Amino acid sequence: MDLRVAFAGLTLKNPLLTASGTFGYGREAAEIYDLGILGGVMVKGVSREPWPGNPPARVARAPGGMLNAIGLQNPGLKHFVEVDLPFLRRYQTAVVVNVVGHDQQGFVDVVQGVTGQEGVAAIELNISCPNVADGLLFSQDPASARRLVQAARAATGLPLIVKISPNVTDPVALGQACKEAGADALSAINTLLGMAIDTARRRPVLGNRTGGLSGPAVKPIGLRIVYDLAAQVGLPVIGMGGIETGLDALEYIMAGARAVAVGTAVFRDPYAPPRIVRELGEELQSHGFENATQAWAAANPAAREAAS
Amino acid sequence: MRGWDLEVTAANRPAPGYAEISCKAPQAVAALPGQFFMLRAGEHPDTYLPRAFSWYRQEAPDRLSFLFRVQGPGTRHLGGLRAGDHLYALGPLGHGFTLPERPVRAALLGGGVGVPPLWGLARNLLAGGSEVLALIGARSGAHLVGAEEIAALGAEVRLATDDGSAGRKGLLTDLLEGEQVDALYACGPEPMLRRVQEISLGAGLPAELALEAPMACGYGVCMGCVVERTRPQDELGDYGRYARVCREGPVFRAEEVRF
Repeated sequence: MDLRVAFAGLTLKNPLLTASGTFGYGREAAEIYDLGILGGVMVKGVSREPWPGNPPARVARAPGGMLNAIGLQNPGLKHFVEVDLPFLRRYQTAVVVNVVGHDQQGFVDVVQGVTGQEGVAAIELNISCPNVADGLLFSQDPASARRLVQAARAATGLPLIVKISPNVTDPVALGQACKEAGADALSAINTLLGMAIDTARRRPVLGNRTGGLSGPAVKPIGLRIVYDLAAQVGLPVIGMGGIETGLDALEYIMAGARAVAVGTAVFRDPYAPPRIVRELGEELQSHGFENATQAWAAANPAAREAAS
Repeated sequence: MRGWDLEVTAANRPAPGYAEISCKAPQAVAALPGQFFMLRAGEHPDTYLPRAFSWYRQEAPDRLSFLFRVQGPGTRHLGGLRAGDHLYALGPLGHGFTLPERPVRAALLGGGVGVPPLWGLARNLLAGGSEVLALIGARSGAHLVGAEEIAALGAEVRLATDDGSAGRKGLLTDLLEGEQVDALYACGPEPMLRRVQEISLGAGLPAELALEAPMACGYGVCMGCVVERTRPQDELGDYGRYARVCREGPVFRAEEVRF
């Protein structure tokens, strides 16, 4: 089965990436399998300076998934470029750098800082993290998203992906604004804002009070948003949200995703990514496809029209 | 770390609200005292994530058991396993206890659900020629776990309970009064660990604390299980404010963590 996919200036050996914030910078998974088996790694959000993250507790139980409020703890741009990126370069996989910032300049400085570094395949702007105070600032107003994407566009020639929030009334309007500002692709979805209560202590479980819901529970929402973005914005979409199996990945691809990312599933099963790559090949075959590209948007004719 | 499919050989209720699940485990599992595993079994709608437990006993080279308190849907599910069921275990994970280079007299403090990692520690300390004073506490005598098992290894065991129904009534750390020991090892509820930390810092006595934290992955990628460091790692600035319990721990030196 030919699993290769190409879109937005990216060529991936297969459509499976690991989602940002669920895979660190690849070091832990590399202890148990060759990262070269992956289509790509979307690294944990990188900010200009090191960020400490939120006070604990940072994770909570939720039916069919979990809540997290990590708060983008990361060692910062310098450490990423000097330590993490060289490590990832040892593997034959596409590295997508997820970029975070407190303000527009913070984003742009990281975009500039990783552009031109060997081994960076693309940039993903994280304008949709629900767990930091200003995380959704650029998602809740398409005009400020547009300005940010324009500034990032001006700072890099790398494929520019914007991660779309499900915590907005109209993800399509947000995607449209990103497209007009020069984005090459969209990724969706980030986590859904939620909460859990500790009844014994009479307070929210999470130190941040609210957190992002992820896991199998959010898959229907992810599919709906990917379907709409693919059909109505017309940019390539990397689909994610609750992917546990090759069949889940195929659903996203049929909904209009050019590639998919596995996230929370790696917490439950660190071997999930190589397993899903294998299962996706089997599912494509059993569904009568000859390659991964053929299955793209099979359930979303409007997406095929929008792209042509 | 790697994933293991373990067959359950026995399931017991050693005290009210506690379950001990014994498994057939290949010797290659090779877990050190203080290390832990992420456990899950089958499918359950309310237990998506695996649960972190340190291993408890190794009654034979090819056996491993887990002892935990049954308190929510996840632990109820795991506690309901029966002989012949299968348990998926990822591990061993994290850094375990540090054994002294020379034989010492060590005090091991286990409060309630914190007792399990002390069995393996006591066994290894005793094998290395150290003397082990195991101080074990619980709400009441009925809730004590691990005391007989640790005594059977050859450790000197003393008890403390909240209601005085077994051993001394009061705090576990009170049992340290008048004792001459060279090192402390502790696992249990946070207030108990804070007191052990105070004693360690006050007396200049080396202590290691095995911590527990809500955890999603157990192997370092989710960044969910952090504890605040007393001294952030300078070169990483703010990033170093928190350490991962699963990766940098779960065992920390007492002076390393801020509760």
